[in-house]
Amino acid sequence: MISFEGVTRSYGEKLAVAGIDLTIPRGELFALLGPNGAGKTTTIKMLVGLLRPSRGTVTVAGHDLVRNPRMAHLHLGYVPDEPCLYEKLTGREFLWFIADMFGMPKAAAERRIEAEIANFELGEFADDLSESYSLGMRQRLVFASSLLHDPDVLVLDEPMVGLDPRSVRIVKDLLRERTRGGMTVFMSTHTLAMAEELADRVGIMVRGRLRFLGTVADLRARATGLGTGDPAAEIEPQSLEQLYLDITSADGAGPPR
Amino acid sequence: MTPQPPAAGAALLRPITAGEESGVFLRLRWLIARSTLREMLRTSRLRVSLVILLSALFWGSLFGLFHEAFTFVDSLHAEVISLLFNAFFSSLMVMLVFSTGILLYSGLYTTPEARLLLTLPVRSETIFAHKFQEAFWFSSWGFILLGSPMLTAYGIVRHAPWPYFVFLLPFMVAFVAIPATLGGIVCMAMVAWMPRLRLHALAIAFGAALLAIIGLAWMALATPRADAMSAAWFEQVFSRLSITEQRMLPSWWLSSGLIEAAARAKDGSVARHQAEALRYLAVLVSNALMLQLVGRQAAARLHRLGASQLVSEIPTRRKRRMSWFDEFLSRAGTARGRPLRLLIVKDLRIFRRDISQWSQFAIFFGLLGLYFWNVRVFNYQHSYAAMIGFLNLAVVGLILSTFTTRFVFPMISLEGRRFWILGLLPVNRDQIVWSKFLFSFVGGIVPCCLLVLLSDTMLGIEPWLIALHEVCCVVLCAGLSGIAVGIGARMPDLREISPSKIASGFGGTLSLVISSLFIIAVVLVTAVPVHLRFAAEERGFASTGWTAADRGVALGLTAAVVLGLLATFLPLFLGLRAFRRLEP
Repeated sequence: MISFEGVTRSYGEKLAVAGIDLTIPRGELFALLGPNGAGKTTTIKMLVGLLRPSRGTVTVAGHDLVRNPRMAHLHLGYVPDEPCLYEKLTGREFLWFIADMFGMPKAAAERRIEAEIANFELGEFADDLSESYSLGMRQRLVFASSLLHDPDVLVLDEPMVGLDPRSVRIVKDLLRERTRGGMTVFMSTHTLAMAEELADRVGIMVRGRLRFLGTVADLRARATGLGTGDPAAEIEPQSLEQLYLDITSADGAGPPR
Repeated sequence: MTPQPPAAGAALLRPITAGEESGVFLRLRWLIARSTLREMLRTSRLRVSLVILLSALFWGSLFGLFHEAFTFVDSLHAEVISLLFNAFFSSLMVMLVFSTGILLYSGLYTTPEARLLLTLPVRSETIFAHKFQEAFWFSSWGFILLGSPMLTAYGIVRHAPWPYFVFLLPFMVAFVAIPATLGGIVCMAMVAWMPRLRLHALAIAFGAALLAIIGLAWMALATPRADAMSAAWFEQVFSRLSITEQRMLPSWWLSSGLIEAAARAKDGSVARHQAEALRYLAVLVSNALMLQLVGRQAAARLHRLGASQLVSEIPTRRKRRMSWFDEFLSRAGTARGRPLRLLIVKDLRIFRRDISQWSQFAIFFGLLGLYFWNVRVFNYQHSYAAMIGFLNLAVVGLILSTFTTRFVFPMISLEGRRFWILGLLPVNRDQIVWSKFLFSFVGGIVPCCLLVLLSDTMLGIEPWLIALHEVCCVVLCAGLSGIAVGIGARMPDLREISPSKIASGFGGTLSLVISSLFIIAVVLVTAVPVHLRFAAEERGFASTGWTAADRGVALGLTAAVVLGLLATFLPLFLGLRAFRRLEP
């Protein structure tokens, strides 16, 4: 459903993403982890069409983001880290704007808008101007708008920022439910625990390269040393956090334990 | 990878047509306009009323001025109208290319909305059309506000037939669309192909265009002092302006079309002239539409490419060091006053690094300086020069008041949002308010006093009157700073993060109104006695010794100082009291 083929992106002389090859099938929740400046945001920007790769192609549902961005966007939902809303529109009006942009038939749009308002518990303030919303309310509204057209691919950039624990629970449940229904989720996060809890596969990015790519079970196995053939590691299992810090440490020496 | 069938929900979707996209944006614009208007009527009635009133006043004054001017020109040099129109419209055309280009740069690339639209399944052409309409409106309203009284006055003076007045709006709209679209195309091309150069190139080109216009005006008007306003002077000016009469320029089509629309044949018939006017209108409209097509094609090819290029730009990292002046200001003086000085240094640093603040300051005061430098072109009578000096003083005050309202008034509100920083520092709240006042007062006094000195020197005003103007200028700087800081502290808006929105709220509008009234009061109480003194002198009343007229001038100056003290300390007192009690 999502495909990165030899994707490279440089900013002047700085290489932000270096030759990524990655395919994410339908129904998978993929979590991209990495320290600040690792290239996560650049990867996400290329995936949603805000940035063109210097080399390689990014496709969504088979549509190239550079050659055919409109068709690719028809299959995409995007929740950015800084939600953008029209301040002078109410939440409901914003949802209608998005539904109209995706060409949703009126009856279907009405049904989906009401459903998402209910899902994200937006009913109380859906008819207030969004300029009065808190960060959490904005984030919930953007989530609702991104799921409105039932996209094949949902791209999330630090999705839980600003959400209260109840909203986090709603989002997690929804993500599980939607991925079971065939939706592909590409999520960038700093929260290791969330990736561990939700992700089918995890990619750990360092300096523009994928240093680790595998299932959470693979990562956990590596953390406990099982199956690695390293007797020392099997005697003293690492925590996931420590393993993450080892993988992402720039010089390979790893941070102090 | 081959395209895959969409999920259940997405199967219902289809890319919408260009017409449907336009419809969605039209609905969006309508909804935003409706809620903005409702909110304005609910929360900013004072501001709306003031804007309408001042616009009507401005329109009426311009109409009167142009009516007089056209009557004068019509009687002396009827043939020069074309020249004046061409010069005016061609200058506007250049400015419109840049202003729309800059507005579209922001609308298409840098706003959060631009990023949102780029992630939706919408055509780049439609995004361009949507943002172009916004930029077009912002660019053209000033032209309409300035051009409509001028052209209405022209029509009335020329006894134009009614179709002239009907054609005015289509002519203006079609004309503005041409430079506006050109600005958009240039902007997209620059961002796509020269992303690194975009800001520098825009700034350089804008500065060059502004300088070229000022240079042209200078060259056209510059002449020895004694010749000003003479027949030879007019002849020289017009011959220099003839460079703007180029048949391939839209300004020529507009000027010629309007002149034809207002003309009558000797037998009073208008049909031939009207047909000619329609031909010019058709040329304008067809060119505007053709450029729109080019603009849309350019958007389809360049918009997403440019947006990507722009995201690829790494912000230049510049190490900022403490300047010698900041260092000096923070260390000079007693240890007790150090927190106050450090707050001023902080504001000074923010001001210096915020180009939008000091560039506007520099442009307005620069243009004012240029005008003051040029007032020497005309030969004024003694008393007339004194009155022009007072008018110039009022203009300096009014421009300063727009800056104190726009930049100084919101400072306390913005500080309120950073209360968690200031609240933890060993600084009391009074010092925060006083630091803003001193920052504004000292920052305003230097350029304002220099401008007043320049104006008075160029007008050849006597030293005692220059001293009086300078005292008034200091009074104005203190009063305007007191009003902006005091009301800013009395009515802070702690929720808003945009300084322009804070300034345009009720408190900002009130501050602007009180500032304007204060300026008028100070100028009136000092100008009227000076005028009376000159009138007494001209009528041969005693001009030696301490006369009643001199006592009047002294009294006027005292009143101005008292007004200044009131305007400074009363709002500050109220502001300090409110700010001490403020609970962020």
